[in-house]
Order: sequence, then structure tokens, then C-alpha cells
Amino acid sequence: MKQYVLFIAALVLPLGALGQDLGTPEQLQSGAALYEAKCAHCHGAAGDANSVATAYLRPAPRDFTSGQYKFRTTGSGELPTTEDIKRSIRDGMPYTSMPLWKGILSESEMEDLAYYLKTFSGDFDGPYGNPEVITIPRAPTYDEGNLARGREVFEANQCADCHGENGRGNGPSALDLEDEWGYPIRPADMTKRWTFRASATREDIYRTFTTGLNGTPMPSYQQTIDEQDRWALVDYVWSLSEDEPNYGTVVTAVGTAGALDISQGAALFADAPRAYFPIVGQLIEPGRSFYPGVNGIAVQAIYNQNEIALLLSWHDMTAEVDGANHPGLVVPPFDPATADTAAGPFSDALALLWPAETPDGLERPYFMFGDAKNAMSIWFTDLATDSAAVLMGRGSASIAATGATLAHYASYEDGAWTVIMKGPRQFDSGLYMAEAAFTPVSFSVWDGLNQERGNKRGLAAWYHLYLLPMETQSAALPMAKWALIALLIELLLVGVVHWRHRRSAT
Amino acid sequence: MNLLVLLVIVAALAALQLVATRWVTVNRLAWMAVWWVAIYLGLAYGINPPLPSSIIVLFMAIVTLALAVYLSADSDELASAVQTVTAFIVEKRFRVALLTVLAVLPLLVALKVYTNLSNPPQPPSSSRTIHPPPPASIIFDGTAIDLATANNPYRELEHTDPAAFAQHVENGRRVYFENCFYCHGDNMQGAGMFAHGYDPIPANFNDPTTIAMLQESYLFWRIAKGAPGLPSESTPWSSAMPAWENFLTEEEIWDVIIFLYEFTGYEPRAQGMPH
Repeated sequence: MKQYVLFIAALVLPLGALGQDLGTPEQLQSGAALYEAKCAHCHGAAGDANSVATAYLRPAPRDFTSGQYKFRTTGSGELPTTEDIKRSIRDGMPYTSMPLWKGILSESEMEDLAYYLKTFSGDFDGPYGNPEVITIPRAPTYDEGNLARGREVFEANQCADCHGENGRGNGPSALDLEDEWGYPIRPADMTKRWTFRASATREDIYRTFTTGLNGTPMPSYQQTIDEQDRWALVDYVWSLSEDEPNYGTVVTAVGTAGALDISQGAALFADAPRAYFPIVGQLIEPGRSFYPGVNGIAVQAIYNQNEIALLLSWHDMTAEVDGANHPGLVVPPFDPATADTAAGPFSDALALLWPAETPDGLERPYFMFGDAKNAMSIWFTDLATDSAAVLMGRGSASIAATGATLAHYASYEDGAWTVIMKGPRQFDSGLYMAEAAFTPVSFSVWDGLNQERGNKRGLAAWYHLYLLPMETQSAALPMAKWALIALLIELLLVGVVHWRHRRSAT
Repeated sequence: MNLLVLLVIVAALAALQLVATRWVTVNRLAWMAVWWVAIYLGLAYGINPPLPSSIIVLFMAIVTLALAVYLSADSDELASAVQTVTAFIVEKRFRVALLTVLAVLPLLVALKVYTNLSNPPQPPSSSRTIHPPPPASIIFDGTAIDLATANNPYRELEHTDPAAFAQHVENGRRVYFENCFYCHGDNMQGAGMFAHGYDPIPANFNDPTTIAMLQESYLFWRIAKGAPGLPSESTPWSSAMPAWENFLTEEEIWDVIIFLYEFTGYEPRAQGMPH
């Protein structure tokens, strides 16, 4: 009965204390219990993001006492609707520690939670507690004809200041960005749509332009860009990225007869297929990296009779080419976040990791830096130097130079590193990369800006490098051979049956 | 399980049965061929995640053998089947059909060889033992812990001193959200923010085949010794599980174990029960 009266009141009264959508006491009670069980670990018991996890997370968990929510269907600076909060809970924030709760919490539980979250901020029962909803129209289909106009809008509104000339999140202002709470925040890399926080449908991108992301430097363009131009900008941003990262497991190296002249840079790899791998923080040994600066690396490879060359490229907001870096640098057990603008003593760096010897069966060195039993050969380049060297790893506390160096090439352009390392297919330590064989390979990336050095780094699991044979054997011969064998068996069977039939008939 | 595919297969078999009992006589050989194809389709398309082709080949070999045994169990049926095959091969009226079969089979073989050769080769896959047998004892911080008899020293507080137990749960919660949830996830489903970058993927504690079927001492071993403590059948070289003895105290490990069971609602397997 009470809900019924409230419902009628909400319909007939103008916005005011009774019109606000604050949930029933039962919903708030249920929401409080759910919050305690599922959310308080990161967002804090008081909803103020004061929790054990906050120190380890960037972006930091949202402080609900502010009433600032990224995902909204309401104007810039306004409070979200209950449905908006529910959707943030349901879909989570990709590539942050906020998971999606779809399938774990029911719709009504998410609603209870949304109402409970509202209690952390006094604004929800104030005069602005029930803001006007902006209806997001259905997205027009993607139109390449809009790209030129979209680019114009991108330039006219200085999107590149933060997001970079080609949307890689590396604009000149990107370094100084802070969120509402003073934590460093990085602009979205538009070439990786799957990392967009408040979801990445075309409607969502339009909504982000329209409503902005509260609590972050991303403003609303509702007043400054008209609707048609906002859709043109959606098409332009849409054109910068694939739908999915399509993470791979194998780098396929293509063979060539000639010399591998790596001074040509990426052009040398034009015919080599590209594989993309996730990079995550190193959490296994002291010096743990909770928010690595790099989240993915693209790899291509080519080889000839004696050598192999790998091209690795990744997005990095700035090139740190001063200072130094080395896998063996010691990091304190807990190395807190420092502002991104701090000029650190650490440079960007890259390592390619191989088993030192051709693996016997599946056994291989431990995937970080090898272990006492199985050594790892590390192709390392400190991008502040103009050199690459072979190191030998027997665990992260035991990384030694071998004296061997590698041919290498490095360039940084518009937010992207391109690094090539070239070495022999036959390692001094024993590994041989045979044609038509799989060789385990792994990658580590250091972002100097993020104070990454030693074990504080982005790393990858074990993947494989496959040397595609230079001369592919024609399928005709084996096909003919097996077809003939099948035919002979058939004829033999037919012959035997005929013979037996005739014998039994006589 | 891909229920839709399985339903279609069962429906097709039922329809065939109906047709066979009403209108035409289908001999046992034809029925066996139908069953063979139905089982193959079920294995190849009815199971999700898909079975490896080597497993399907193995199962189909067993099915073929079983069908052969079934056929030869009844000598009349066997004779009739042999007669059918013989008739197909020797009688003139089947000549065109026979020649077609003789021509098509080698072509199918050639096609199979072609597809095999043109598929990109697959990297060696590692079959992993998820719960390897634990060692008899481990050394933790200089002290030997016998895994067969070790109990969580704080477990009994659950009944004797609930307030103290709650403090251990709280401490376990802190340990989990400072250390574990990046991989094992907020909801302990093994889907944390870094889970996609590691192989093998982190364990899902909600899955009834993980902590629900293990003793607390087993968890202590896996947490304290991590990947480096695994035997080789569990690919210690790729697991990203840290050896937490380097970071946590003995009490913290027991506390986080309590928290895992509290959060998921599972009970640890009692000590002394066979693993």
C-alpha cells in the first residue's frame, strides 16, 4: 500500500522530496548487506573509497560520497539515475578492477545496491536528486562518409590535446591529467575500444560525448557540438579501433631468402602477420606492478637462413629515453603510485624472453626470468641506450650479462614504440629455432613514466613463435598417395568379396 | 553440452525409428550406420567446449568395435549383414552405386589430407594436472608442516569463540583484497582484472571442483609454495601463482583460507578423508 501511494505521489507531484527515487527501507537494507559483502572491500565501508585496495588500484575505486558517476544518462555534473548506477554495476568498468556483476547479482539486487549507493551522498535527496534524463537516440549505422567531418570535429574540439593526434591517449596534456580526487588519470586510448570504461557501443560513445564522465577531465560536448557532428565524431572514433583485441597465442614468422635489414624499420615486416598479446602487471615477486602502463603488445617476425628478427610495438603515453633500466633493478616490496608527471630516473625498456635451451618436451624455464633448473635467454633493450644485449636469467635475483649483443632498431612516434631485435636462430646457450617448429617466447615491457624497473613491469605468459616453412610442400603428392591407398583397400575388399561369392556359388 | 544439437540428433533418430517401424524395413547394418553417424555428430558438435579430435577418434574406434561386437553377437543378423554387403558388391543392379562409392571414398580421403595440410599447425598443448598430489610435508619459515595432519589452527574458533573467528575472517578479507583479487577476482570466479593475461587462468573458487573438494592444508601448500612448489605435471613454469611465503605470515595464509570458505559458502574437506 505504501509503495502504491508513493508511486501515485511520484506521478502527480513535481520534483521534490516525494518524487525522488530513493528506494524502500527494505531495498536499502538489502543493498547495505550486499554492499558489505561485495563492494566495501574496494569502495570502503563508508563509500568513500577508503579501503585496503585503493592504494593498489589505478583508476582508484570510486568515492560514492561525491555523487560523481562516470556512466550517466544525465547532464554533465548531474547525479545519475538509479538505472545508470545499476548499469555500472551490471556491466562493470572494462580494464579496471570493477568487475561486471551481471550473472552474479540479480536485477533486483543490483537495484537494491544502487539505492544504497545513493545514501552515501546527501545530494540524492536534495533539490537536484532527480535530474532530467537525456534520451540517447539509436545510433545511425557506421558511415565512412562521415570520417572526414568527424576528424574535423576531433580537431576543432582539441580532442588530440589529451587523446593524441591519432587517438592513442598520448596528447600533450595527457601527462598532467588528474581526476577529481587528485589521482593521475590517463586519457582513453581510442585505438583500443575494448578498454572504454563506460562501455563501447556507438550509443555509449555518443553518450560519453554528450554527458561527459563526471569526476574525470572528460567534459560534456552537449552544448558545443551539435548532434549530427557528435555522430560524425562517433564514426571517426569508431574507425580508429577494432571491436575486440583478438589476443593471439602464436607469432608466425615468415621466411625470406635475403638479408634482414632492420634499418628499414616496420616496412621490413610488411608481409608478416601481426599477433597481439595482453600485457598485465607482474604480481608474482616483490616489486609487484598493480597498474602497468602498457596493456598490450603487437608482435611480428621474419627469419632467414640464420637469423630471426622480431618487431614489437606498443602504445606508451611518452617515451622515457633518459635514465636507465634493467631487469635486475631491485624494487621495494611495496612501491606506491607516484604522480605521472614525476620525472623518474627510469627509462622505457623491452625484453623478449626465450628458453636458453631447446625445451625437452613441455618443460621450460619459469615464465618471468627463468629458474635455477632452466635458464632463460633474455633479449633486452633499454630504450635510453642505442643497444640490445643477451642476458641470462636463472630467476629474477640472478640475471647476468652474457656479453653478446643484438642488432636492434627503435623508434617512438605519436604514442607508439616500434622496436626490432634481431639475433641468431641458433643461440649460444643451445636454443635452436627450427623451421616448422614452435619455440616458446614471452615479453616484458617497462614504462619508465610509471616507475617501472626490475620486477615492476608488464609481462606476458608463455606464447609461441612458429617459423612458417619457407618452402611449403605441395599437398598434391600426399593427397594422391592416400587416395591411392584408399582405392587399393577398396579394390582388395571388392576382390575378396567377389572371390568368396564365386567360391560359395560353385 | 550443446543441447540443441543433441535434441536434433535424438529427434532425427526418433523420426527414423517411426519411419522404419511404419513404412520401410531397415536392416541392422543400416541402423548401425545411422547410430555410428549419430554418435559421431553428437560427439563432434553436441559437446561444449568441443572435444579434441584425438578424443573423438578414440571414442569412435570404441563405438565401431562395440557395434561390430553387437552385430556379430547374433549369427543370423551377421549372416544377413554379410549378405547385404555381398549383394551390394556383386550384383549388377548396384554396379553404378558401387562404382560411385569406390570413386568418392578416395576423393574424401584426399580432401581430408588437403584440409589437414592446409590447417595452420597448432602449438604443443599442455595437459595439466589441476590438483596434483601434495607433498607429505613442507617447510614454512623454517618449521616443517605435515600436510596430512595439519589443521587450520583458527578453524575451531568458529565454535569456541565466534568473535575471534570473525576477526580472522576480516583479516583474511584484507589479505585477499590486498593480494589475490587482481587475478582471482572480486567474486572469486578467477576473473580478476589481470586474469586474461595469464595462462593457465586463475582458479575459480566458486567452482565445486576447487576449494570445495580440498582440505585446508592443501590450500596452505598451494598458497605458501605457489607455482614454484608445483610438480612438473602441473606446469610450474607457466603458473602465475606466487609463493606467498615470501609475502604473508603463516597466520595470514590460514586467515585468507578461512575467508575463501566464508565468502564462497563452501566447507573445507575434513582432514583424514581420502583426497
